[in-house]
Amino acid sequence: MTLIATRPEPGEARPYTFPDLQRVQAGGGLVIGAHLPGQVLASAMLLADAGAARETAGREGTATVLAKSLEEGTKKRDSAAYAIALESLGAELSPGVDWDTFRVGVSAPVPQLLDAVRLAAEAVRTPRLDPADVTRVRDDEVTALRMDWAQPGPRADAALRADLFGADVRFGRPMHGDPTSMAAVTVDDVVTHQSWLHRPSVLLVAGDLSTLDLKALGEAAFGGVEGNPLTAEPPLDVPVRGERKILLVDRPGSVQSTLRIGHRSPERATPDFVAMTLAATVLGGAFTSRLNHLIREVKGYTYGIRGAYAMSRRFGRFEVAAGVQTAVTVPAIVDTLGEIARTQEFGITEDELAVARSWRAGQLSVEMQTPGSIVGALSTLVVHGLPDDYYPALRSQYLETPLAEVSAAAGRHLHPHGLTLVVEGDAAVIRDELVAAKIGDVVDAEI
Amino acid sequence: MTGYPWPIESTRLDNGLRVVVSEDRTAPVVCVNLWYDVGSRHEPTGQTGFAHLFEHLMFEGSQHVAKTEHMRLVQGNGGSLNATTNPDRTNYFETMPAEHLELALWLEADRMGGLVPALTQETLDNQREVVKNERRQRYENVPYGDAWLRLLALLYPEGHPYHHATIGSMEDLNAASLDTFKAFHQQYYAPNNAVLTVAGDASPAEVFALAEKYFGVLEPVSSIPPAPHSHLPGPATSPVRETVTAAVPAPRIYLSHRTHPFGTAGYDAITVLAAVLGNGRGSRLYQRLADGARIAQPDYIGSYGVDLAHAPAPLIITATAKDGVPVETLEEGLSEVIGSLVTEPVTEEELSRAKALLTTGWWRQVSTVGGRADALSRYTTQFGDPGAAAYRLPQWLAVTADDVTDAAKYALKPESRVTLTYLPENGEN
Repeated sequence: MTLIATRPEPGEARPYTFPDLQRVQAGGGLVIGAHLPGQVLASAMLLADAGAARETAGREGTATVLAKSLEEGTKKRDSAAYAIALESLGAELSPGVDWDTFRVGVSAPVPQLLDAVRLAAEAVRTPRLDPADVTRVRDDEVTALRMDWAQPGPRADAALRADLFGADVRFGRPMHGDPTSMAAVTVDDVVTHQSWLHRPSVLLVAGDLSTLDLKALGEAAFGGVEGNPLTAEPPLDVPVRGERKILLVDRPGSVQSTLRIGHRSPERATPDFVAMTLAATVLGGAFTSRLNHLIREVKGYTYGIRGAYAMSRRFGRFEVAAGVQTAVTVPAIVDTLGEIARTQEFGITEDELAVARSWRAGQLSVEMQTPGSIVGALSTLVVHGLPDDYYPALRSQYLETPLAEVSAAAGRHLHPHGLTLVVEGDAAVIRDELVAAKIGDVVDAEI
Repeated sequence: MTGYPWPIESTRLDNGLRVVVSEDRTAPVVCVNLWYDVGSRHEPTGQTGFAHLFEHLMFEGSQHVAKTEHMRLVQGNGGSLNATTNPDRTNYFETMPAEHLELALWLEADRMGGLVPALTQETLDNQREVVKNERRQRYENVPYGDAWLRLLALLYPEGHPYHHATIGSMEDLNAASLDTFKAFHQQYYAPNNAVLTVAGDASPAEVFALAEKYFGVLEPVSSIPPAPHSHLPGPATSPVRETVTAAVPAPRIYLSHRTHPFGTAGYDAITVLAAVLGNGRGSRLYQRLADGARIAQPDYIGSYGVDLAHAPAPLIITATAKDGVPVETLEEGLSEVIGSLVTEPVTEEELSRAKALLTTGWWRQVSTVGGRADALSRYTTQFGDPGAAAYRLPQWLAVTADDVTDAAKYALKPESRVTLTYLPENGEN
């Protein structure tokens, strides 16, 4: 038996294309459709400028309560009738909230999409919002957050966010609120938030446009839109501290320490977006990234570690996340800091960049096969005001941005000496070692 | 009506490797998927977790692929990759830009035929630690994380191949020796114990030729041992109960039954039953316990089957108590709703809702070349015919209300029930 020793050369690549886009004004809103010939399923998403960033301080969680309340019945039918009508189309509503948008997604077999969008619009435009239902949903969300916060991670995330942005401002509080702020959400808060959904918004559609009628979909989605778009607000500054700080979140008995290590970074519109993304891919994005290679594949401290920039309209954040065995908490942190510092100071290599380039470029094909993923890609275009030919252009930039620019971006946008390190774990076991390591002042987080 | 409208062609190499191709030129991507007919059901006592730890070793280099190169070559050419192990089988898959099809086949052939020379103690020691961290992260460090491990042991008798969980025990993982893994590879990672499927932007002729070129040189293994005996007569005949007091935020119940093996008409009825009972806000469980009696948390209620093919597969029904609701009330409510499947026949409206959701779910699963390749590998491995993938959806749609009632009568009797209850440590509730 002789295996073939020589690695094969690639074949000829087909040119990259993003699906053809169509834009239609209908029913008082904009419909953007992406043509995916032959797909059995189609996806649609209503996108409104009513994200978590617009919530009132101390009432974080309002948009989440609204999202859940949409399915508690409409002016036309109660919650049971609504669920059965929608699910009998094979559709399920997925309302969601991020910093920038309130989005309601729905997917169904192509022939059922129009009816599914009609039902989604019924929930978005004419929800019943019975005060007793909203109050109950709010209470259920408090419980759901408590369930979620019993997992490792959410408390560490909250501690990091509060430290980076300040616990007294919206961006310093968890995107979906915390159990206290959620409990404070009132019916009026939810009703006010819902009123923003009546402003002009966008319907995204991905599917076989040869049988989908974008105009009819728009009319179904937008009946009753009024008012003007809300004013966009400017990006935040990017302050970075001059010293490191460790926040210890106690989780007695934890067999792993959950690490969340980060600092602030520029917003999504930064001209360094591509260079930063490539640099972060080398540091912590791909499986062969510096962090995963060292901490998992060489040291065996973790099941996985990743690092990335998360960027929204008004702010960004660099973050490394991992769960490491309790006994190796300090060595894992020291190694992580070492890789961040090395990347910041010396940049990356041509070989590493080659992997990052091809991976990011290839993912634009490999991870964009389904209507759902294409709708997600369209939402990025809308939220960040990007042109229709954005993805082909992005692909070229991934492949062509010079090494020097990528290393320079790492130099500018990594701050190893200004990191906040949140460690959620068994404080009784790890505290002394953390203090002795002299990585930064160790403070108990109040979460 | 077909659940698989794409073309399927297949062949078998002289060494026994089955090769399946499903061409689709829509997108310039291709998935290479391999199923090896070996899973944790093949593990003898004292070697739990070995099939899965072995899966990790398959990414650590082979005869012509240096350590770390496998991942670098796939991702560095734009691909996505992963592998999974379950009780039944182990699968490996990468979706690549289509021009890298040959690279993916070369990588897979090299680790099928040439893993042993590259396997070192250092690699084993490293991946053992990674897997132990995986166990900590996924099962030990999260509330209710060990439910599946406990359910398997309650559902399947001692010595049954499904009795132990795929992740294995820390003790067995610590005891794993390099020679055991070398033997494991030589035993099971044979062309005649595998199915190779390629779906997407490639033609059958091209794939068959490349498969012959890269895999054709591998020798078959003549003495693959038969899988351990896994026959069980069906549902259990006496109830089992376990109550765990742990660091959990609320009381939660898992009810489970052994039903029918995946791939049988009986299991198709169970799949539809699970959707009627616990899939979506229109399901009986949601309507009656989350929306109606309001004793269950709306985000944590549902039911689903686990698609195992070599013994009666589990149906799992779960709910978490709302604040202040005694766990006994929740269990009573669950029992009532399950019992209603026999006493209140499923209506046409319930049936069509469940089938509509299953239909969307099926098409979502096969909407990517990766999902399609995995389905074809499954049906070839488990039923000897990739074309059988097309029958699953029509078979679900053919299930009648009477079939659901019969399935409930057969499989969901209280006397065959496993009840696993979690209670918070601090005595809340």
